[in-house]
Amino acid sequence: MEKTVNASALKTCLIDANPNALMIIDFKGNILEVNQKLLSLFECKKNSLRHANLNDFIDEPDFLKKHREIFLKKNQSEIDTFLKLKNQKISILLNSLPFKNEQGKVSGAVIQFKNQAILESNCICNSEEKTSSKLKSQYTDLSSQEISSRYARSLIEASLDPLFTISVEGKITDFNHASLEVTGLKREKLINTDFKTYFTEPEEAQKVYQQIFDKGFVDAYPLVIKDHKLTAVLLNGSVYKNDKGLVIGAVVVARDITTQNKIEKELIEAKVFAEKATKTAEDAQLKAESATQIAEDAVKSKQQFLSNMSHEIRTPMNAIIGFTKVVLKTVLDEKQREYIEAIKISGDALIVLINDILDLAKVDSGKMVFEKAPFKMSFSIAAMLHLFETKIQEKNLTLIRKYDEDIPEVLIGDPARLHQIILNLMSNAVKFTNRGNITISIDLLSESKKDVTIEFAISDTGIGIAENKITSIFENFQQATTGTSRIYGGTGLGLAIVKKLIESQNGSIQVQSVLGKGSTFSFRLKFLKTNENVETILPYFHKEDQIKGIKILVVEDIPLNQLLMKTLLDDFGFKSEIAVNGKIAVEKVKNNKYDIILMDLQMPEMNGFDATKFIRNELKSQIPIIALTADVTTMDLAKCKLVGMNDYLAKPVDEQLLYNKIVGLLKNPNNSLIPKNAVIIENRKKCINLNYLMTRTKSNPLLMSEMISLYLEQTPPLIFSMKESFASKDWKTLQMVVHKMIPSFSIMGIDNQIEEIAKSIKNFAEEQFQMNDIEDMVYQIESVCLQAFEELSEELKLIQLN
Amino acid sequence: MNTNQQKVFLVDDDAVFLKLLAIDFQLQTDFKVWTFETGEKCIENLDLQPDLIILDYHLDGVEKGVMNGIETLDKIKEYSTLIPVIMLSSQDKIEVAIDCMHHKAHDYIVKSETSFIRLQTVFQSIFNVKQIEKKLNWYMDRM
Repeated sequence: MEKTVNASALKTCLIDANPNALMIIDFKGNILEVNQKLLSLFECKKNSLRHANLNDFIDEPDFLKKHREIFLKKNQSEIDTFLKLKNQKISILLNSLPFKNEQGKVSGAVIQFKNQAILESNCICNSEEKTSSKLKSQYTDLSSQEISSRYARSLIEASLDPLFTISVEGKITDFNHASLEVTGLKREKLINTDFKTYFTEPEEAQKVYQQIFDKGFVDAYPLVIKDHKLTAVLLNGSVYKNDKGLVIGAVVVARDITTQNKIEKELIEAKVFAEKATKTAEDAQLKAESATQIAEDAVKSKQQFLSNMSHEIRTPMNAIIGFTKVVLKTVLDEKQREYIEAIKISGDALIVLINDILDLAKVDSGKMVFEKAPFKMSFSIAAMLHLFETKIQEKNLTLIRKYDEDIPEVLIGDPARLHQIILNLMSNAVKFTNRGNITISIDLLSESKKDVTIEFAISDTGIGIAENKITSIFENFQQATTGTSRIYGGTGLGLAIVKKLIESQNGSIQVQSVLGKGSTFSFRLKFLKTNENVETILPYFHKEDQIKGIKILVVEDIPLNQLLMKTLLDDFGFKSEIAVNGKIAVEKVKNNKYDIILMDLQMPEMNGFDATKFIRNELKSQIPIIALTADVTTMDLAKCKLVGMNDYLAKPVDEQLLYNKIVGLLKNPNNSLIPKNAVIIENRKKCINLNYLMTRTKSNPLLMSEMISLYLEQTPPLIFSMKESFASKDWKTLQMVVHKMIPSFSIMGIDNQIEEIAKSIKNFAEEQFQMNDIEDMVYQIESVCLQAFEELSEELKLIQLN
Repeated sequence: MNTNQQKVFLVDDDAVFLKLLAIDFQLQTDFKVWTFETGEKCIENLDLQPDLIILDYHLDGVEKGVMNGIETLDKIKEYSTLIPVIMLSSQDKIEVAIDCMHHKAHDYIVKSETSFIRLQTVFQSIFNVKQIEKKLNWYMDRM
């Protein structure tokens, strides 16, 4: 029994030792047992609790009912809830555990009231409590007001932005942890100090809270906190009021914008950098463009120099060769003849070289113009091979000709350039072959409705070319071996010209060679087909046919050339007179009768063009005029035709050609350069060049035809307006119209000089200074545009056919 | 079609030059190109929201009583100051260039065979700046 007593006493001790208030109740709420803590909580003695009911102490009458239902029906093992006690102002958390009798039926509950002191100290946990309820009880044990207050506080403290509350006087009354961080001060040091002293600009800071108290809020006010690293902040703030609505202070949030500022700065830097980069790129591009321009200019000036030099050399050579020929016709002794022959051969060689250089320069600068004239291929080849007969016989070689009979008789192309190509290749073959034979074969490769492709091959059994030299032989001034020129002569320009001439006509050249065995040069060219027939030019140079009593006016300013021309004409049996410039020529034509005029183009006082115009327009004379020109460029020819010249002759004048032309013109004055029928239109040099357009459109036929159609559509009205405005002296319109025409010239590849003429017209129209040949210029533009119109219409048809 | 495609207006009364420029754009850029032969037509179509306009200085060359380049430029700027306008002219005159700049043209380019290359640099820089501005705004929105 002692044991039992002891056990019962121990239990009571245990219950009393529990820091929480405990009570045991039955279902009805009758209090069965309590501990000491409960007595102090309920503020009563143990005796007064006998037969007392829980309801007597709590403020919620429904509690017991709910309590019972939960245990009986829901079979729940534990209840945690808040309950308001009658003698306490606040709710208290209670925990209830049911207990069962011997039969296992729930007969009552142990109720535990949580001790607030314990909870606040956060150190003791009721051993009976489950871990899951620990946290809950920690919070819930506080009064709800305090809980929400604590919760708010912790949120404030957790904020990374410094938060302050300040009084109306600007004293700091409260703040969060971040404020300590940012000011670097301790709590005690911060409280009740002046808010404004923590900023680099105290006056500004004062303005902030003044503004808050004036307006009730402030939004994004930038300031800098005077901490160890000068944090840039944006202040946001608003007032807070007491229960009566009186302003008692302000809450200020300082947002750290260092990072944003940094990003912004970086962004601005990036922007500046990007702009700089763009600028640099632009500069680089400009630089590259100007470098290209300089390089192009350099090439151009080189070509111009070569061209000018050649031209300057050619003029005196003209006299040298001419007079040499004249001297050769006189009676000479053997030695003299030998020396003079030597002069002539050297002179001829020099002229060939100069012509080569000029040709190269022309091809390089794109000035080389290929004629499209009908010619007889077989006749042309035969005539040329004729030139080599003596040489071949001298060297005891055999010439083998193979000519494909299927090649149409008449083709359209540039016979002069074909001549030049074959001449170069043949003279190489003859030059480098000492025994054996030279074979020239001309084969029809393919034929279409419009054109034929012909392959020309020239093979020799000469010295051949080393394999590693084959690629360089086509370069300017290159020969297969450096010693070649010493032994065989030549400048090394021939093949370069051949290659360029072929490639400019969209052809190709190939070479096969075995050193010591021989070489084969073959090239392919396209020729247009035609139904026209060409009259073979009969050699007029028959003394017996001589026309007597012809009177020729030679207009030439250089005395040597005057003398040469006179000698030549005397030799033909023609009478001649000299006029030293255009002005004198015009006077002479006015007063005398001549059969033909040979007109130099560049002369002082009045040049050949002006003189011809005067003769045609003022004197109304149709006398045949042959232009003498040193450099045959497209422009000169176009101009010759334009002013009404009948034909032209390139210097140095070829005796036989001169004779033929004079006689031809006298026999048939209509046989002139001025286009009168279709055949001669074919003879004209093309004024357009579609290369530029092809590059720009990447040779897209659709785009090409669109461009050409637009030009064809736009140009006629422009020509019309140009003529009309010129006639009616409407300078403003003339200027505008010509201005609009200018870009199309370069687009359609029309000669740059035409564009220059157009610009002169524009300048004239703008300033209206006196300019005599403005009418001619307008006429020139018109004729070029009309020609371009025709040619482009043709091209358009061709493109559309394909 | 790419919706980000930049839209370009080309305005020139010289149909041949206009076409050539359009071809350049067609072959060498991703831009969507509209061509107009008068300033009036360009203005009528501003609702298409072009990103760039290339405008000839001499629009009233032959046809009378139509707007010239500067008038068109003013009208465009009235509509929106944000559309960059590049002026084109075959006149290499400083007064013309200054005139254009005074009327808020973005740039002035002399017509030549290389003007397209010049144009390319200019609109590259325009679009670069636009992109930078866009980026800047993006950041500003997030600050």
